[in-house]
Amino acid sequence: MTSLDIDPSEILVRYNVKMEKAMTPEDAAAELYPKEELFRPIAEAIFEGEEDDVIEGLEAAIAAGKDPIALIDDALMVGMKVVTDLYDQGIIFLPNVMMSADAMLDGIDFCKDQSDEAPVSKGKVVCHVAEGDVHDIGKTIVAALLRANGYEVVDLGRDVPVDEVIEAVKAENPIMLTGTALMTTTMYAFKAVNDRLLEAGLKVPFACGGGAVNQDFVATYDLGVYGEEAADAPKMADKIVAGASISALKEEFHKH
Amino acid sequence: MAINRYTKMAYGSADEMVFGHSKFPVKAGLGLEIGGGYTTPEVNYAPRPEAGASKEKLVKEYQRITTDIMNRMVQVGFPSVVLETEHVEQMTNNPTWGGEVAHAQKEIMEEFHDEYGIKCALRHTPGDIREDRDFLELRGDKFNTLMESFEEVASNGADLLSIETMGGKEVFDYSILRNDVPGMLYAIGCLGTIDMDFIWQEIASVAKKNNVVAAGDTDCSEANTAMFIAGGLLDKNLAHTLAIIARAISAPRSLAAYEAGALGPGKDCGYENTIVKSIAGVPIAQEGKSSTCAHSDVMGNLVMQCCDLWSNESVEYHAEFGGTSVQCWSESLAYDCALMNTATATGKAKDLRDLFTLSDKFRDPQGYVLAYDNAYRVGEAIVKDGNDIYLRAKNAALKSIEIMEEGMAGKLELTRFEKGALADAKEALSALTDDQDTFMSDSMAKYKEEVKVFLPENYGL
Repeated sequence: MTSLDIDPSEILVRYNVKMEKAMTPEDAAAELYPKEELFRPIAEAIFEGEEDDVIEGLEAAIAAGKDPIALIDDALMVGMKVVTDLYDQGIIFLPNVMMSADAMLDGIDFCKDQSDEAPVSKGKVVCHVAEGDVHDIGKTIVAALLRANGYEVVDLGRDVPVDEVIEAVKAENPIMLTGTALMTTTMYAFKAVNDRLLEAGLKVPFACGGGAVNQDFVATYDLGVYGEEAADAPKMADKIVAGASISALKEEFHKH
Repeated sequence: MAINRYTKMAYGSADEMVFGHSKFPVKAGLGLEIGGGYTTPEVNYAPRPEAGASKEKLVKEYQRITTDIMNRMVQVGFPSVVLETEHVEQMTNNPTWGGEVAHAQKEIMEEFHDEYGIKCALRHTPGDIREDRDFLELRGDKFNTLMESFEEVASNGADLLSIETMGGKEVFDYSILRNDVPGMLYAIGCLGTIDMDFIWQEIASVAKKNNVVAAGDTDCSEANTAMFIAGGLLDKNLAHTLAIIARAISAPRSLAAYEAGALGPGKDCGYENTIVKSIAGVPIAQEGKSSTCAHSDVMGNLVMQCCDLWSNESVEYHAEFGGTSVQCWSESLAYDCALMNTATATGKAKDLRDLFTLSDKFRDPQGYVLAYDNAYRVGEAIVKDGNDIYLRAKNAALKSIEIMEEGMAGKLELTRFEKGALADAKEALSALTDDQDTFMSDSMAKYKEEVKVFLPENYGL
């Protein structure tokens, strides 16, 4: 038996330790919070993922005369942007984003309840898991990240028949459709969705990813844009809102 | 069949565990003894998607795959092989399809065995089809179809029966994305084990009736999801310290198959299998560096340490420069096994085992806890309260945390985020009750409220 203790420094590099940011997440967030004293506690509560504190902060702001719908953009989205920016910079992890998104969505619901007006989203995205595939954790992450970035998400769920995807795109007129699949055997449904959308003249960008899905496959159909990471989805949506074409999206997000 | 919980270790010490040897070897298929002193490649594959269009096309595809693998083994002179057919959903949903595939494969394997004497066995792994679009549907019509599938493959040529069950996944998927360690404990340790107890008694009965081997399960749907989300060193989706806590909790869940009558070998993607082997002494399949065709991990050599079957996870059937994909991967696996078996023959097995372990032990907290010396300690924590499915899972989680804390004091480097997640997990676990009933009822109330797709009736609760 060999000793089970060696100096591992010559056989591995823990790049994550080496590259770690000096700043703590709390310090980094503190620099990004809004200065307005009624908005700051709301943003802090979103960062902490504390639903009750978000509502408490909103109540205080509304009592002080702030418009509930305006608070969505001025406080909730600002707080969420702190979270998504720090996630993009590698300072916080995905579960922090998920918990903050839960808190933000509770806040949005509260604001809607306090007003007769409807908030305006950055755009609508239809999300689904491929027909035949019931693995939906990837889609759940994509939907949460899109919502966290201010998009309205129509979540069709998992194992969604091709017909249903087409009908949803017709009915919702989204800026983007997303599809996730775990298995190579189910991802072929994406090709069918692509063909049916083209037949119907619906040239909506179709962001695909997950499990065994690869860029080579997605690149074979016209509307397909491959996303290697779930975090690519809101970035693609932002590009679409800014006017990017499908070919421009492929150019930017197809990395291999 | 009855449930017999493990309350003591199969091995007297961690050092007794080594690749190719298990306390309770399993005879299966055509001349094979798994864990009986040698390692064997286990080749796993997926048909090309277009082959799923009809039963005839699928059978033909599996005939090609089987012939290709058996040919390559003989061409390069390897003595044994296991083939694993993980069902595409059409095969499980149409039980006779799976039966015909098993029959066609076994005919080919028998021809090779008769002609060349190669030892071989066929594992079939029906898909866990027990869900509809919105909910898990663990008991009911889909369960009955699944059992028909097991019956068909067992009576038509499959030697080893396995599955990757989904029990607990609805609560797990919710919990893992929210750093909710008690939720992971409830999902994997409690709900997962309850489902395993239920389904594995049935699978063991089918195996016994058909004189084949109930081989085992894996927590692929949960612990591997955690590992996959955690990703590599620079990914920021999940702290690797949490991924290994999920893995530690998965060991008592996978153990439940053996408590209900399975004999092994455990499934390849069960990275928790070293812990399971330390407790149950069953042979195990493992995958690591030779499964990069399917996914990446941070312990590619380490997991060979105590394997009895060495697998490639899964590769789509297609052409490569060196032959078909299944030929290339089977050859790589078989050379790995030849090295391990040579180490055994020359009395160097434990040295090679330790080299496998050491090459990855400090690479990541996941490998650190699964190194066989530490895995054994997690096993001891599990059997300490082996009759309590909640406490043993909690013990496993806490022991994995203790091991990582020891590592941090030594040569295991962790980031501040990994350390923070570890400290939060320890605090959450330490605050939990020791009473199973209290934990179960509190958790049911909480997750019924928070997870809209959680149906307690799936677990008989």
